[in-house]
Amino acid sequence: MMKLRRTKAFQTLAQPIWGDNPINIQMLGICSALAVTVQLNTAVVMAISMTFVISFSNLTVSMLRKIIPRNIRIIVELSIISSLVILTDEFLKAYYYDISKQLSVFVGLIITNCIVLGRAESFALSNPPHMAFIDGIGNGIGYGGVLVAVAFFRELLGFGTLFGFQIIPDAMYAAGYEDAGFMLLAPAAFILIGLFVWLQKFLSGKP
Amino acid sequence: MSDALKSLAFALALCLVCGVMLTTAATRLKPIQDENMRIDRNINILKAAGLIEEGKTYTAERIDALTDDHIVRMGVDGAGRIIDTAMTGDDPTQGVLPVYLVTGEDREIMSYIIPINTRGLWGRIHGYLAVDTDGSTITGFTIYQHAETPGLGGEIEKKWFQDNFMGKKLVDHHGNFVSVGVAKGRVEDSVPEDRRHNYVDGISGATLTGRYLATGLAQILSAYEPMSVNFRQNNIRCRMETIPPWCDDETQTN
Repeated sequence: MMKLRRTKAFQTLAQPIWGDNPINIQMLGICSALAVTVQLNTAVVMAISMTFVISFSNLTVSMLRKIIPRNIRIIVELSIISSLVILTDEFLKAYYYDISKQLSVFVGLIITNCIVLGRAESFALSNPPHMAFIDGIGNGIGYGGVLVAVAFFRELLGFGTLFGFQIIPDAMYAAGYEDAGFMLLAPAAFILIGLFVWLQKFLSGKP
Repeated sequence: MSDALKSLAFALALCLVCGVMLTTAATRLKPIQDENMRIDRNINILKAAGLIEEGKTYTAERIDALTDDHIVRMGVDGAGRIIDTAMTGDDPTQGVLPVYLVTGEDREIMSYIIPINTRGLWGRIHGYLAVDTDGSTITGFTIYQHAETPGLGGEIEKKWFQDNFMGKKLVDHHGNFVSVGVAKGRVEDSVPEDRRHNYVDGISGATLTGRYLATGLAQILSAYEPMSVNFRQNNIRCRMETIPPWCDDETQTN
């Protein structure tokens, strides 16, 4: 176990999930974290799409890293990322139409999500493909994990459901309990993310 | 090879690979996506017609069966006559507009559905408005595509806002066409009593979306007004059991 934890691959995977989390620590990708976290369904699909895009863009950029001309590298990275994003969007439209309607522009906006380009620039360009791929998966999980956690609280408190299934019993509503409409608005996500940041800093002992 | 030439060659190769990949994906998935859109459109027509319930899931076969049984797509010409456009298709230059007739168990017309496609604050708003055969009472309203701000104008996609339209009238107490407006806030608070049946509750924080929607509805409904008048005066006789279905109005035959 200790051996595994000291390997570079494990570090690469674990670092973005906890210690260097893209949302909680680096404060990236906040925009989509506010927009698609009203329901768990959309958050999970967004997390999977993001993980797919970021790991494969990392993989592709890393495989091409020795032949990408330095002077056009940003635009090359962007072309690769946007191709993957469009592919994801087309796939969702074909097989998960309802969810793709709810996600609307936010799948397309993965292109501008600074996490993806940031990882391509700072990691994939200088590391071998398998490490870049693992780094992508780690960042996808780090980002997606926060998304799902935010969505969990927003859906539970805002609708009284999880994945669309009613959790808060009817008896509670009969007794006067009301869903918190505030949870459905974007500021609620801000507050939740703020609490997560505090919790993580508290747990990891950093001020 | 110079650096510039190398960059150019790399860029071209990349474009080619990405282009081929995306084109293949798009053309391969297009039929499935079109089918999804068609079913989604039918779901919304059925929702406006009040034939399916919000929140329940229906199989594609069930949606198709319901559509086949209860929805007939026809056209309306400039004089408000309902004509069969199955063969000719709509011809906007001739002023022929699409309309969906909702039929009941005995193929009698229950209501008619007008497609809504109008300007919103940030993009087009697409939906359907169902009107009773009395030609003036709204029996259903759905919006299936829009680009309004989530939480503000985006509320137009919510059930409370759409249910708001049920039972509202397109005409005033004298039977003159006035369309249906979106009030600023709640109808009870902002509209005089004798006009309340022409207004729906507005969305707070989305005055502009409401204004655009109301203007758009007025424009679209006035284009369909000749047909609504025919319904109001009980002039329309349709034989929906024949194939193709056939409609006439008495003002023309007499």
